[in-house]
Amino acid sequence: MISKRFQRSFDALDQVFGFTRRFYECEEVPDAERLVFDFCVEEIFTNFVKYNRGNLQDIELALDRSGDRVQVSLTDFDVEPYDISRAPAVDISLPLAKREPGGLGLQLVRRLVDELTYDYTNRQSRITVTKNLR
Amino acid sequence: MFEIRLGDKGEVVCEGRLDASNAAKAQAFLDALAAPEVVDMARLEYISSAGLGVLLRTQKRLLQSGGGLRLVNANRHIRDIFRYSGFDRIFQIDDGI
Repeated sequence: MISKRFQRSFDALDQVFGFTRRFYECEEVPDAERLVFDFCVEEIFTNFVKYNRGNLQDIELALDRSGDRVQVSLTDFDVEPYDISRAPAVDISLPLAKREPGGLGLQLVRRLVDELTYDYTNRQSRITVTKNLR
Repeated sequence: MFEIRLGDKGEVVCEGRLDASNAAKAQAFLDALAAPEVVDMARLEYISSAGLGVLLRTQKRLLQSGGGLRLVNANRHIRDIFRYSGFDRIFQIDDGI
C-alpha cells in the first residue's frame, strides 16, 4: 500500500493524479480501470474539499492492490461525520429543464465500484472504494 | 492538461482531462459562445462530475433559445459516465461530426 497527503484544494488534483498514475504503472492497472479509479479519487477528494472548507488539514489518499482487487481510500481529518451513503440520490430520469448541476459525483462512484464504505473514527472521515479488475 | 478551443468547422474541441481544476475554464469558454452546437470529444480522455456540470449548465442555457449541444466522438469511459448520469437522455450523443 502507498499513501500520501495532499493540500485541500482543487489545484492539488494534478499532483493527486500524478500519484495515482505512478501507482497504476507500478501495479499494471489496466488503462480503462485507471479512469474509473481517477474518477472515484477526484469525486471523493473534491467532496471533502467542498464540504469542509474551513479545514486546513491535508487529505490523505491511500492506494492498494491485492491480486485483482484494488482499494482506494481517502481520509479527511478533524471533521464532523458525513455519511455519503445517506446522501440523496439524483433523479437521472428528469428532463433537462428540471436537472440541476451537482450531487452526481458520489452517486456515480457508487455505480462504478464494487464496494463503498464510510468510516468515522476520532474525527476522521474515511471513504474506501474497492473494485475488482476484470 | 486540458484544452478547449474552436475547431475548423466551428465545433468546440476538448482535449485532455476535464476535471474540477479546469471546469471553470471550460465554462467560461462555452459561456462566451452564443450558440455552440457540437462538442468534439475525440481527444478528451476523462471527465468528472465537474465537467458534467459544465455541459449541463450550457445545455440548460441553450434550451432557452431552442438550441442544444451535440456531443461527438466520446470514448467508452465518457460514454459510460454519460449513461450513468442520464446524459444520454438530455444530450444528442453521436460517433462523428
